[in-house]
This record gives sequence, structure tokens and C-alpha cells, in this order.
Amino acid sequence: MDSFFVADAEAVLARARSGDAAALEALFRAFESPVYNLARRICRTTEDAEDVLQETFFEVCRSIGRYRGDGSIWGWIRTIAASKALMRLRRNKYRDADELDDQVTPMRREDTALRMDLEAALERLGQTSRAVVWLHDVEGYTHEEIAGMMGKTVSFSKSQLARAHTRLRRWLGEEALA
Amino acid sequence: MTHLTMEQLLALREPGSEPGAAAAREHVEACAACAAELDRLHQRVARLRALPTLAPARDRWPAVQARRRAQRRSVMLRRAGFATLAMAASLAGIALVRPAAEPAGQPTAVVATELAEVKQNSQALEGVLQAYNLEGRVVDGHTARIAGVLEDRIAEVDQQLQAAELERSAAAQDRELLQLWRERVGLLDALVDVHVTRASNVGL
Repeated sequence: MDSFFVADAEAVLARARSGDAAALEALFRAFESPVYNLARRICRTTEDAEDVLQETFFEVCRSIGRYRGDGSIWGWIRTIAASKALMRLRRNKYRDADELDDQVTPMRREDTALRMDLEAALERLGQTSRAVVWLHDVEGYTHEEIAGMMGKTVSFSKSQLARAHTRLRRWLGEEALA
Repeated sequence: MTHLTMEQLLALREPGSEPGAAAAREHVEACAACAAELDRLHQRVARLRALPTLAPARDRWPAVQARRRAQRRSVMLRRAGFATLAMAASLAGIALVRPAAEPAGQPTAVVATELAEVKQNSQALEGVLQAYNLEGRVVDGHTARIAGVLEDRIAEVDQQLQAAELERSAAAQDRELLQLWRERVGLLDALVDVHVTRASNVGL
């Protein structure tokens, strides 16, 4: 179960597969924080992240019978959560001006004078870049996997990651060290 | 000297051999600026991984459960619908060969009419809930708990309806069915109140 602990994991999974509500709740309790964290790091608002948490576990409850134990249960749940979070990004995209910002104003004036902490800098990234950074650097997905989940190319994922790190470097004031 | 781009530095962290990786590695070994940049990249990623785990402010489990119940109920209803159709078909077959007269004294026609009306009410309330799109809504824990209790009871009534339709004689069936369908309409009405009326009161 990776770094997350479910007491008597095999028995809980077997009961969850048969639809046992207590076992499904035990899975929810074990993984609600990491799922919410992933969703919150990718999504813009806490409300979106909570919706992703809810949708993820609804899907887990519905599909747990299809989980055959080939990989870790956390890996399986995490993929569902990532996919739901990315779906939420696509749904909200019409409200998102990130792509426009990237193309039209790559060097906003205040950027040069900024020195933020990492939380604030991560939050400031565009949604797509932030999602790629989090999925690749923290969750450990490969560019191929991210491209598959986003419906984009591998080079798109790579260039989003490079762009995100260039910005983080600048916003964190690391350029001054170079 | 031309330094490595961010994309080239990132490629050095990937397993396997990216095109040009060997040359980039050689460059990093010879260039202090790029070595420092790669080191900062590693540190940045380590700091990202060390960010605190964020936790949800609200318990979402009741809402997940409510959606599960709603889904189970709609599946059960679909099955019940098929069972009712099958039963109706078989009853129609029996009516063709049965003697015309029912035992006197019971206003079966009145019961049957009322039953049809209650079923219509039930269908209308289902329509209201369906139009409200329960599955796509996120509800608070309190609403989810109340809705959960109602949905559980509706599921029980549905099971009783199925059993009543399959096991009873036609005359007794209508009276029992009427009682169950009335209970079902009452529960659906309460469920509409919980979801739709509350939502419109808070302007959702």
C-alpha cells in the first residue's frame, strides 16, 4: 500500500470488492488525504479539489471489483484521482487564461522583482504546467503517462515541465544565485 | 560557452538515454554553472516533494455514500421496471384464460385506478429528481445523511414492491401495492424536498 497504511489490507480489499460499506469507508479514510492533496495541488480551488475527492471515491466504490491487485491500491486510486483532476481542469479551461498568458505575456513586469516561497510560486503557475510539475516531480509519473492522461504528446509534457521550472526558478529568486 | 537549457537539464534526470544525454553529462562535469543549476533543480524537486500534505476541510464520505445509494436505487428501479413489465405480461396472459368474474365485494377497479395515479405521482417525482441531476451534484454532509436514510428506505420499499408483485394474487396484490406505492411517493416527496427545495432556497 505504498506509504499509506490500511490495517489488515487484504481482508479490507476483499470486503470492499464485495461492496461492504465499512471496508469502502476504511479505504476512503486511508487515502482521502493523499487524494485531496493531489487534487488540490492540481486544481485551482479547494471546492474543485473536494469535488475531485468525492468523484474519485465514487469511482473507486463503483470499480473496486475491477482492481485485481496487479499494482498497489494507492497507485490505482491515484490514477483515478489524477484523471478526475485533469478532467476538472479541462472542464474549467474556458475560465483559465493561463495559455493566453504563456503566449502573450511571458515576462510580466512584476516577475523580475518577485521572490516567493515555493507554495506561492507553485500556486502561481498555470494550471497545465502545475499539473505536469506535480504529476512528474512529486507523484513520479513519466512524461509518457502524463501525455496519455492529458491526451497530449510527450513533448508537450516535457516542454510544460521545462517552462514551469524556468518560472519557478525565476520566482524563487534562484536566478540571482546563477 | 553555451550552457544547457532547462529542458536538457531536466532530461538528465530521466532514466534511459535521451538523445544528447551523454554530451550533456560531459558538459555538466566540465561546467560549474550548469552543475550548480542541476543541483538547484534537484533541490527544488526535493522541496516540492517535502511540501505539506493538504487535507480536506469537510468530510466527503457521506456525499460519496449518498451517490452510491442513488446509483444502486436507480439500478434497482430499472430492474424492478423490467420485472413489473414481465409480471404485467404474464397477468395479461392469465386474464385471457381466467373466468371473467372476480369475487364480489372488493372495489378492485377503484384500487386499480388509485394505484395507477400513485404510480404516476411516483414517476413525476422521479422525473423531478432526474432533472435535478443528483449524480452530478455535490451535497453537504447533513443533506447527504438525510438523503441517504430516505434512499435506503426507498430501496427497501422497492424490494417489497418487487416481492409483492411476484408473490400475491391479483386482488390482494393491488391493495398491498397501493400501500407500498403510497409510501414510496411519500419518501420520494421528502427526497425532492431535501434536494430540490433546499437547493432553490439557497439559490443553487
